[in-house]
Amino acid sequence: MLLTDVVTALGLQVLTSGVDFDREVRGGIVCDLLSIVLAKAQPQDMWITIQRHQNIVAVAKVTSVAGVILADGIVPEQDVIDRASEEGIPLLATKESSFVVCGKLFALVSSEEE
Amino acid sequence: MRSYVADLHIHSCLSPCGSLRMSPQAIVDAAVDRGIDVIALTDHNTCEMGPVVAHTAEKAGLAFLYGIEIQTREEVHLLAYFNDADACNALSEEVYAYLPDVRNDPEYFGDQVVVDEQDNIIRTEEKLLLNSITLSLEDVTERVRAHGGLPVPAHIDRGAFSLLGQLGFFPETTVYPIVEVWGATVPNECGQRAILRSSDAHEPEQIGRRTSVLTMERVSVEEILLAAAGVGGRSIRSEES
Repeated sequence: MLLTDVVTALGLQVLTSGVDFDREVRGGIVCDLLSIVLAKAQPQDMWITIQRHQNIVAVAKVTSVAGVILADGIVPEQDVIDRASEEGIPLLATKESSFVVCGKLFALVSSEEE
Repeated sequence: MRSYVADLHIHSCLSPCGSLRMSPQAIVDAAVDRGIDVIALTDHNTCEMGPVVAHTAEKAGLAFLYGIEIQTREEVHLLAYFNDADACNALSEEVYAYLPDVRNDPEYFGDQVVVDEQDNIIRTEEKLLLNSITLSLEDVTERVRAHGGLPVPAHIDRGAFSLLGQLGFFPETTVYPIVEVWGATVPNECGQRAILRSSDAHEPEQIGRRTSVLTMERVSVEEILLAAAGVGGRSIRSEES
């Protein structure tokens, strides 16, 4: 499934600009501890978090996740968003909780596999 | 120049997780008993007990630094040290203003009491102190420095409430010349930073279980920074005891 389809299906707000959404999404990780995300996230995962510290951009870059969904209405500072845009990291926002986003994303990704 | 045995991370009975036995006199007695020369009081998100412990320490000939352990929005614990009570109080008031209005449940978290030198309870803090304030690590760090304080990320190698645990690595935008390490092994991420070890005592028996030796002219935030940089024969050495 492409990231652009995930954004549409989940009704995500796109925070970054000029970022390519033509990338494959195969799974996900939900975690707010960046040390754990660094250790566990896989390329083509969607990363769902409420952590908005600037280090999320570098963590997303290093782990090559497909994109970052900030749940619960969390929006990072503008400099974090700008940095993500520069680095080509899609930052997406939703008012829904991590639990709800995970449920929907899991259903989407699973239906693709069938 | 002299060498000070320092324990710069101690909680009083005002911290919910701090034992009720952590009265000013008990803290000072334990520190003197363990041959410590300088202590800092670092309660969670408050320094209200600072002046009374400072006074008790002074009477015992123990040097004192005002301190606070702030829990940032990212759930990172940041220690901050100050030379004087006013500066620490000013920072503490800002921190308190950004502390969510959640009531402490003493049954679960523990009591939060302010006591005097004779262990009389002056008042009970109602707001839960062991909680994240709504300011970012960077914002808090700037505020600490604006008040003349020394920010030191706490127990950076622990799994919980630590800079490396929560954020994975040191943010590029903030500089910490000194970090507190808990375990025997210093994480590679620390690079050339100076390492402090302190007890993080919540019980009198824990005071001095980890210490650092600060070689410097006198006890002050400025001297500790010079010691971290190794200026003029000053140094910071830490050891597990």
